[in-house]
Amino acid sequence: MKIDINEIINSAAGEIAAATLQTLPELKLKYLGKDGEITKILKTLKILKPDERKELGQKANEAKKIIEQALENKEKELSQKAIQEKTASQKVDISPIFYFPVNSGHFHIITKTIEDISQIFISLGFKIAKGPEIETDWYNFQALNHPEDHPARDVQDTFYLQGSKDLLRTHTSPVQVHVMQNQKPPVRVIVPGRVFRNEASDASHSSTFHQIEGLFVNQNVTFVDLKSTLASFVKKFFGQNISLRFRPSFFPFTEPSAEVDVQCFFCGGKGCGVCKQSGWIEILGCGMVHPNVFKAVEYDSENYTGFAFGMGVERIAMLKYGIDDIRLFYENDLRFLRQF
Amino acid sequence: MKISFNWLKKFIDLDIDPYKTADILTFSGVETTVLSDSKPAWTKIVSAKILEAQKHPNADKLWLCKVSDGSEVYQIVCGAPNVREGMIVALAKIGATLPGGFEIKKAKIRSIESEGMMCSKKELGLALESDGIMELDPKTKLGQPLEIILDKVEDAVLEFEITPNRGDCLSHLGIARELAAKLKKNLTLPPIKTSNALLGHNVKIESDKCQRYIGVIIKDIEVKPSPEWLADALEKCGVRPINNIVDITNYVMLSLGQPMHAFDLAKLDGQEIIVRNAKTGEKILALDSKEYELDESMLVICDKKAPVAIAGIMGGEVSGVTNNTKAILLESAIFDASSIRKTSKKLKLSSDSSYRYERGVDWGITETASWFAINLITAIAGGSIVNKTDIATKKFKPTEIVLRFERVKKVLGYTIEENEIAKILRFLGCDLLPRKEVVLCKVPSWRNDISAEIDLIEELARINGYENIPQVNLDYDLSIGTDSYFCPLLKKIRMHLFGLGFCEALNYSFLESADVEKFGLKSYYKISNPVSKENELLRPSLLPALYKNLLTNIGQGAASVSLFECGKIFTKNGEKESAAGIMYGDVWGDWWKWENADCDTKYNFYFLGAVVKNFLPNNEFCISNNLSPQSFFHPGQTASIVYRGKSIGQFGTLNPMITQELKNDVFYFEIDVEAIGDLRLDNVLFKPFAKFPPVKRDLSFVASKSVPFEKIEQVIKSVKKEDGLIEDYRLFSVYSNDEKIGAQNIAYSLSITYRDLDKTLTDVCVNENMQKLIDKLNKKLSITLRV
Repeated sequence: MKIDINEIINSAAGEIAAATLQTLPELKLKYLGKDGEITKILKTLKILKPDERKELGQKANEAKKIIEQALENKEKELSQKAIQEKTASQKVDISPIFYFPVNSGHFHIITKTIEDISQIFISLGFKIAKGPEIETDWYNFQALNHPEDHPARDVQDTFYLQGSKDLLRTHTSPVQVHVMQNQKPPVRVIVPGRVFRNEASDASHSSTFHQIEGLFVNQNVTFVDLKSTLASFVKKFFGQNISLRFRPSFFPFTEPSAEVDVQCFFCGGKGCGVCKQSGWIEILGCGMVHPNVFKAVEYDSENYTGFAFGMGVERIAMLKYGIDDIRLFYENDLRFLRQF
Repeated sequence: MKISFNWLKKFIDLDIDPYKTADILTFSGVETTVLSDSKPAWTKIVSAKILEAQKHPNADKLWLCKVSDGSEVYQIVCGAPNVREGMIVALAKIGATLPGGFEIKKAKIRSIESEGMMCSKKELGLALESDGIMELDPKTKLGQPLEIILDKVEDAVLEFEITPNRGDCLSHLGIARELAAKLKKNLTLPPIKTSNALLGHNVKIESDKCQRYIGVIIKDIEVKPSPEWLADALEKCGVRPINNIVDITNYVMLSLGQPMHAFDLAKLDGQEIIVRNAKTGEKILALDSKEYELDESMLVICDKKAPVAIAGIMGGEVSGVTNNTKAILLESAIFDASSIRKTSKKLKLSSDSSYRYERGVDWGITETASWFAINLITAIAGGSIVNKTDIATKKFKPTEIVLRFERVKKVLGYTIEENEIAKILRFLGCDLLPRKEVVLCKVPSWRNDISAEIDLIEELARINGYENIPQVNLDYDLSIGTDSYFCPLLKKIRMHLFGLGFCEALNYSFLESADVEKFGLKSYYKISNPVSKENELLRPSLLPALYKNLLTNIGQGAASVSLFECGKIFTKNGEKESAAGIMYGDVWGDWWKWENADCDTKYNFYFLGAVVKNFLPNNEFCISNNLSPQSFFHPGQTASIVYRGKSIGQFGTLNPMITQELKNDVFYFEIDVEAIGDLRLDNVLFKPFAKFPPVKRDLSFVASKSVPFEKIEQVIKSVKKEDGLIEDYRLFSVYSNDEKIGAQNIAYSLSITYRDLDKTLTDVCVNENMQKLIDKLNKKLSITLRV
């Protein structure tokens, strides 16, 4: 029997070259399967003479390897080609992305502003303290150096509750008193929270709004610390180039007291509609804690000094984001909420 | 590196135990552990002499011996092949204990009484293998406790790790120096004799990478195994004893930190040493029997013809000391640290020697080490010095630093007294020249890591003890308060809702009476002086305002609204933090590319339930039937959120009586934030999961409608708990059909995942477990498999 193995290899090579992914398995069977041409040769080996067996066996095994390799290469080539063809036909139009009906949520710009401001003060070593929204007259006024007949109380239009002497806090300052009653100095807190004023709502007034109060009491806390702390806050919140100025002012619970203006961050101080051409915007009130407040919480005002400040969150958000009506914050129109 | 506690005590008088020593070192910057506290593992074993050894009358391989401990003679039966008369042995008498607590008792061996046992090293735990009993030095006094003879008294091996800057600690002396500074004790150096050796001319240095080379020729030595104490000392430090010469070089290195090498003088062509850069292509067969190809960046030690050692790293095999060596050249040298490091890296070859050179070897110890080794060699291996060559290419210049006392306080923030500063620095080996307010400090040769004032300040803080750094209360740490406006759980809930596309709403705290009545709520706080009707009362729930927001947005044409709010509500128990969410309309809006256009994309009760379930942080929370639903919920579509057995919130479909004005149902949840306010969410422990494949089985069964699914779950959970094979289960279908399964019945289909932590599950095992579950369901709840 004469078998030309090279002929088998050649014919296999030709057939494999012309194969498709569908016909490849048939070719594999034809040459390497149980009754495949190479397998048949290998099966005949045992009837040959030893030297013939060796030669033919070697050749057949080589041929087997060659064909296996060719099959494998072809399969790889064809399947890669198939994927390439498929991907080439799968080009998408990107515009539907913008209409895909999955939307992210939005945090309210007031809570976001509170968290942004809080984060800055936390980085300056402050903690967040909270207190009740329903307060007594003593916490809201008396302890904060507003005696009952004090003219400052006229300014505060206060909501009183039926059936008790309790009221809704008109500022976050009573939390200063709670904190100081609960611990000895050092105290370094900010107090974000809701406050209430009994006013008719309009574009710039709201019966409910938010304040952030700050308080730092220790030995040797000075006016310099106050200004430096607020300067640091202003730079971090409004921008590195924004400076601030202190203007003398009056609050019953601080002395000396100041109003703080920041350079108008819309016009950079040149003067514009937002800052009413002054170049400056008022953002907060502050001062050194009044000794009478320390007296109310039984702190030794000889030994301790402190500063306090307070700002309106809505006012700051309105300024920063250019919102012109405070009522927008509480209407919860999605067209508003989704802008932030 | 490992050191022996007893060896350490040769350098410093220590009255503390190894553990305390390790502690002191660790807290002065050398992390140390006690590796083995080799208190002898035996008791009552003494030295004794075999007076007489005869064959056992009843056994060929046994000896019958008379053994004396100096005061008494014992009859001992022994099977060791090396027994001979006159031998000094370790005798375990009756009552002695061997390692492992094995006690020696009187015994009869082949009908002859044996009053103890002569021990092998293996039996004493001193070696892994031994052939025959241990032989002690013939000069040993009889009756001495073995531990004293072997210097085993409470020795311990300490292992430490140094930071890369502290090469000076890589020896017993170095560690003793650390302890000396810390304990303010003086060091004791071993007595080292020097002599006037003949000046040799056997060394040439031709590279600037070698700064000093001392080569000493010693002749007439006898190379043999080291004495027990030396071999033992090295073994404790993890160094394999080889022969007395090599062992002494290692002993000196471990003692003083100076790597040393001994060449067989006869193998050095021309009997001389040339230290030079290797030539490219030069090769050397090193002591590890591997050949290394060298290049010009590498420093080698050569004889007249070829390299005989890779400098500072490893000697050559050819020139190594063997049992036939009669004369040696002993090397004690300083090589450039960075050159050794580079070569070691390039050749991927490191050794105890290169480890030390890389980290810098003490300039001041090279000669001392050489003499120490000479002393030991002449004492242990005999021989005498022929000559000594000492070449230095550089002169050591000590670092001088001005330390300002005021600067110490400035940097450290606390005061170390001036005389304490001086004391610490002196104990560290510095020479001091005090001036007003400063001290001029000459850094000792072994501290190549100290080069500036700040380094000295670190030393002061370190030796004075970091435990003595005072701690003050940081003012801002003390304040009442938290670091976040929202509590951890609320933060999580907010992020979760944000991701699901909810918008955050903020509403006034006020409501009108009509708002409250509409939802069947009761108000507890009324304003006595409202400027307008809107401010009549304080909100008892977040619902009325959120519902209003919903209407506003629907009125503006929104097809889908999902809002949440966090804020105070005012209830009969006072003001409370609350969080609520409301959802209406399409979960997904219309999109022209949806493939399955008829899928229900409206919010429904289960979507709401999934929202709530997913933001509950852990299994302390669960969802259960709402036993006292608020009237604004659909009575059949509401559930309660339970935390540690207490309801902290409700959710459900809003009552259609309220929402009839709208096209779709409205879904709402509200939770009491204060009830869970300070819950920590970060106390989670990782649970390992199985690597083995899961087996999934589906199970359908019929239950009476009167059996709540909760009860079924309880049974599954109990089986899960018992066997631990059920990893997970999932309800995937609920089915009722009056005709097929009966009007009073309901069918559930569960997919159960089985998995074993330790092995691949077999079908048999899973089947058994499933049958158990089926039986239990049947027995407890009369549930049957659905066929």
